[in-house]
Amino acid sequence: MVNSGTQGPPVLDIEDIEVFYGDAQALFGLSLNVQRGEVVTLVGSNGAGKTTTLRATAGLQRPTKGDIRFEGKSLMKIRPHERVELGITLVPEGRELWPQMNVKENLELGAFCGRARGHVAESLDRVFSLFPHLKDRCNQMAGSLSGGEQQMCAIGRALMSRPRLIMFDEPSLGLAPILVSQVFDTIHRLHSEEGLTVLLVEQNLTKALEIADRGYVIETGMIKTEGTSRQLLDDASIRSAYLGI
Amino acid sequence: MEEVVRLGISAVLLAGLYSVMAYGLGLIYGVLRIVNLAHAGVIMAAAYVTWLLHSRLGIDPYLAIPVILVVFFIFGVLLYKGVVRFLPRGAAGGVQSLLLLFGIWLVMRNGAYLLFSGNDRAIRTEYSTHSISIFGTSVAQSRVVVFVIAVLTLAALHLFLTRTYTGKAIRAVAQNPDSGTIVGVNVERFYALTFGIGTSLGGLAGLLLATIFAFNPTSGAVELLKSFVVVVLGGLGSVVGIALGALVLAFAESYAILILPSYLTAAVSFVLLVVVLVLRPGGLFGQRVLA
Repeated sequence: MVNSGTQGPPVLDIEDIEVFYGDAQALFGLSLNVQRGEVVTLVGSNGAGKTTTLRATAGLQRPTKGDIRFEGKSLMKIRPHERVELGITLVPEGRELWPQMNVKENLELGAFCGRARGHVAESLDRVFSLFPHLKDRCNQMAGSLSGGEQQMCAIGRALMSRPRLIMFDEPSLGLAPILVSQVFDTIHRLHSEEGLTVLLVEQNLTKALEIADRGYVIETGMIKTEGTSRQLLDDASIRSAYLGI
Repeated sequence: MEEVVRLGISAVLLAGLYSVMAYGLGLIYGVLRIVNLAHAGVIMAAAYVTWLLHSRLGIDPYLAIPVILVVFFIFGVLLYKGVVRFLPRGAAGGVQSLLLLFGIWLVMRNGAYLLFSGNDRAIRTEYSTHSISIFGTSVAQSRVVVFVIAVLTLAALHLFLTRTYTGKAIRAVAQNPDSGTIVGVNVERFYALTFGIGTSLGGLAGLLLATIFAFNPTSGAVELLKSFVVVVLGGLGSVVGIALGALVLAFAESYAILILPSYLTAAVSFVLLVVVLVLRPGGLFGQRVLA
């Protein structure tokens, strides 16, 4: 919890957005914000709209109403591929690597945007020092990696763009318990050692709240509860609904 | 035995032409998931442009290659931005894109009838009738030149896709466009670029074809079908796969002459197509994605 106080505009400020998939509405006036240096988690059950919220921020889904601001600047007029230039990146659900390209190519392309392109070697060193294991897999096709390695590669690819805000979509999904802990450790380190601002979407509520400063609980496209991690962990209704205690 | 060697040599040379015909179709399908039926029209149009450049301006067909590449690249980009961009992609958009691009082919074909009539044209240069000897077999010089150009095209395309940042981005867009967007690739721009490159390769195929065969406004139809067979044979794994697919088709067609009556050899490619689709729908060598 480096500095959860408010100074300047929030890094990410989502205000009252609505998103539709065809006729089906996924988000109903959702609002949330992430302050500089914070780890904020968005938790909720399947289909509640967590992924949609991240996709809307990354530009992969267009809100029909509301506003998303990054460091005070509205993203609504900024084209999807230009958002990474501002410092926003997403580690998508299911990794979404380029399976028929090797690890090195996946990572190098992570630095595609102009701001990051000149720092490929430096960024690669940083990723390999974070995930030494990836270095041994350099020439292996991303599609042939294990689930855990793929997650490392996906996080590495996101870091290659030298982001200021990194969004994780269910990074623990489908991983063995020991790997889940590793992934959460990594997120924690990125935050505490490198000062990255993190928005973390998770179904694993306990783990997420362990490393987060604050959390939002989303239900059917709306924020139902919000608070510090402590408050949410102590909330009896959340404990019974999501933790089964 | 001599016959076998002769057919083998001509098969290898033919494979060069087939591969150039198929690269453009394969690249566009691999990245955009669109079967570009206008490819036939592009091949035909490029043959006419090459013929015009030669007969009116006296430009040697091989020296016209850069012109053809640029002209058809621009044509492809315009076609994408003007029309193809608005089409739904993938399985859902299959019918619309097939119909529309088929329509564009018809327009090009009828345009050619209006401009050039239905008569066969051919490009005659002073070296058209030259031949050289390979392993004691005499082959037309133009076929050897076409083969060399085909090999150079393969090398250039392969290096472009695997060694350059732009080429890698094209492969990335083919494999997962959303991930491309996330890292900052303007996916639409790369679709336009790919359609342009694919079309300019179709143009190159038309040029090479015109240096070997006579052509008329219906030319390109058979080439389109053969390109399609080659792409299915080779899979979409890589341009090298497409080149291998071209070799398989060329050998099958060439040696079929030994065992089949000549009126059946035209069916070889389609039999091959059906067999591969049934037994190995991912292609003989590989994947369904441009790797």
